[in-house]
Amino acid sequence: MSRRTPLSADAAKALTLVALAGAVMLAAIWAVTLGSARTSMGDVVGALIAFDGSREHLVIMTLRLPRVLAGLLVGAALAVAGAIMQAATHNPLASPGLMGINAGAAFAVVMVTTLGGATSGMAMVGSAFGGATAAAGIVLLFASAGPAGATPLRLVLAGAVLTAFITSLTTAVLIFDQSTLDQVRLWSAGSLSGRTQAQVAGVAPFILAALGIAILLRAHITTLSIGSDMARAVGQDPRVWRGVVAMLVIGLAGGAVALAGPIGFVGLVVPHLARFGVGVDYRWIIPFSALAGALLVVLADAAGRTLLASQSFPVGVTMALIGGPFFVWLARTRTGGAS
Amino acid sequence: MRRVILLLMVLLMALATASLSHGDYPVPWRELVDVLMGRPGASPQAQMAVLDLRLPRLLLALLVGAALATAGAIVQAVMRNPLAEPGILGINAGAGLAAMVLLVALSGLSPAWLPLAGFAGAAAMAGLIYALAWRGGTSSLRIILIGIGLGSVAGAGATLLTAFGEIRDVQRAMIWLAGSVHHADWQTVETLAVWIALPLALTLAIAGELDVIRFGDAPARSLGQRVQLARALLIVLCTLLSGAAVAVAGLIGFIGLIAPHMARRLVGPTHWRLLPVAAFTGAALLAAADLLGRTIIAPAQIPAGVVTAMIGAPFFAYLLWGRRHAAA
Repeated sequence: MSRRTPLSADAAKALTLVALAGAVMLAAIWAVTLGSARTSMGDVVGALIAFDGSREHLVIMTLRLPRVLAGLLVGAALAVAGAIMQAATHNPLASPGLMGINAGAAFAVVMVTTLGGATSGMAMVGSAFGGATAAAGIVLLFASAGPAGATPLRLVLAGAVLTAFITSLTTAVLIFDQSTLDQVRLWSAGSLSGRTQAQVAGVAPFILAALGIAILLRAHITTLSIGSDMARAVGQDPRVWRGVVAMLVIGLAGGAVALAGPIGFVGLVVPHLARFGVGVDYRWIIPFSALAGALLVVLADAAGRTLLASQSFPVGVTMALIGGPFFVWLARTRTGGAS
Repeated sequence: MRRVILLLMVLLMALATASLSHGDYPVPWRELVDVLMGRPGASPQAQMAVLDLRLPRLLLALLVGAALATAGAIVQAVMRNPLAEPGILGINAGAGLAAMVLLVALSGLSPAWLPLAGFAGAAAMAGLIYALAWRGGTSSLRIILIGIGLGSVAGAGATLLTAFGEIRDVQRAMIWLAGSVHHADWQTVETLAVWIALPLALTLAIAGELDVIRFGDAPARSLGQRVQLARALLIVLCTLLSGAAVAVAGLIGFIGLIAPHMARRLVGPTHWRLLPVAAFTGAALLAAADLLGRTIIAPAQIPAGVVTAMIGAPFFAYLLWGRRHAAA
């Protein structure tokens, strides 16, 4: 890579962000036009600006827009949550799932389904969010016990322990209850199909608030990523900030899993993509991750819908199938030789 | 160290006695001794229950637990990451995908192929990750990252089969994926014992290399280690151990992650102590998990892999937050 002066490097990063934001807009509008009844990009913009109640506009607003909006929210939320987790734990393997969020959500959904029979979409969203929050809360509580507080290693280990514990309970239920397995297996692959306006509106405030706070606090998160000794030296109390970070991750990843089920790839990989693109500074990584995550999920969902012509094809699968090889290529070309 | 080993041995003996005598057909311990010593006093039912069913199952659990724990200790040192477990080398992803394909996509095929398919999947995945991570040498970070990328592709394949496969096949596959030793027989035990004996011994023989590589590539090199060679050898050992364990018992997670941490709490980070203690811990964990899994809601059986996490997690939490080792 060529050496640039700091100012022009920042300008280049800002330009990348603007271009990425444009790409997200275009991809979102294009994704809304896809479906069994063809609509043009003009129709989509028309429905957004001047809704006239026609059948086309109704299809766009009630069926397709919620799905695309859900994709945008979920992608941005997971990517930022992943970036924050990796910053706070100094671990490139950290992902939002590590705080037990996906495991808690899955357990809650499985329990509600197995005890209450068939469940509505709204009940699924509610139980997933509840389960995610409860699990992450327990992890945080366990990790904070003791004089040292929630050090990254304790947080990560507590998360791994709780995740393993809850997942084994979920597996035990699913092995004996075939009808629940049948009902939740599409959800547990991570899918955006059939999202409604009400579901999106119910979860969006949590995700948007947490996203806003994360972007406002991005300088503090950068400090946190340097290590607790350094952070203390510049006047940051790591214990307080780790609590703040945990709340952010719960809002983001909990909201995401409530909307789309456990999607694994985004939170782990997008922060690495961001690091390849804009370096190690979390002031840039966080906005970059938000946009890249949103773009990735919307495109993956659209690709699944068009290439495979199946409305219910799980976005989690498409994303891993496209993103996995790409990530391998990046890891091969962008990490230095034999060190 | 000696006290810890002694304690673990006593624990293992107690576990073994309990495993051999408990079950649908209880065998009192006096009769159990008769059976094991080959004395004529024991009833044929007791002989069959103990020698043909419970003993191979117990031994298989011990072997698998020891193999997974050792593999976990290796991978945590090589990757320098406390979250690392054998799955990071693609073992679980490869074996899981192979098993899903065999059980769901090719459900006509005999499940007897399962161990072979599992090991082949695991070894192929580990080999592919290592090959892709090679650019005039490997680095731990690159292995981890490429493992994540390939692992998620394989995981997506498995998820797809889960989401759209025949529900009965999916459920069968889930039981295998959960990890269990219920199908143990003497032939499996012997094969696994022979298979893992050499890697286990070799790992212990080069325990010093693990102590060195843990510090990072540059310090290890300046300490005179041939880092690339050591890392390659250790990864092969880890693949042989955990691949074999996964092939016979399915995806038993958690032991590879937790047993090394427990051992570290008990005897510190030096590997010639840590490895045997981790192996004993892993063996005890899996044997206990299997005993609980088959007795707790008998006659139904919970797969051992499910129980491992249920009992391992609280125990690990106790170790992590227990008073005695608070400083560590």
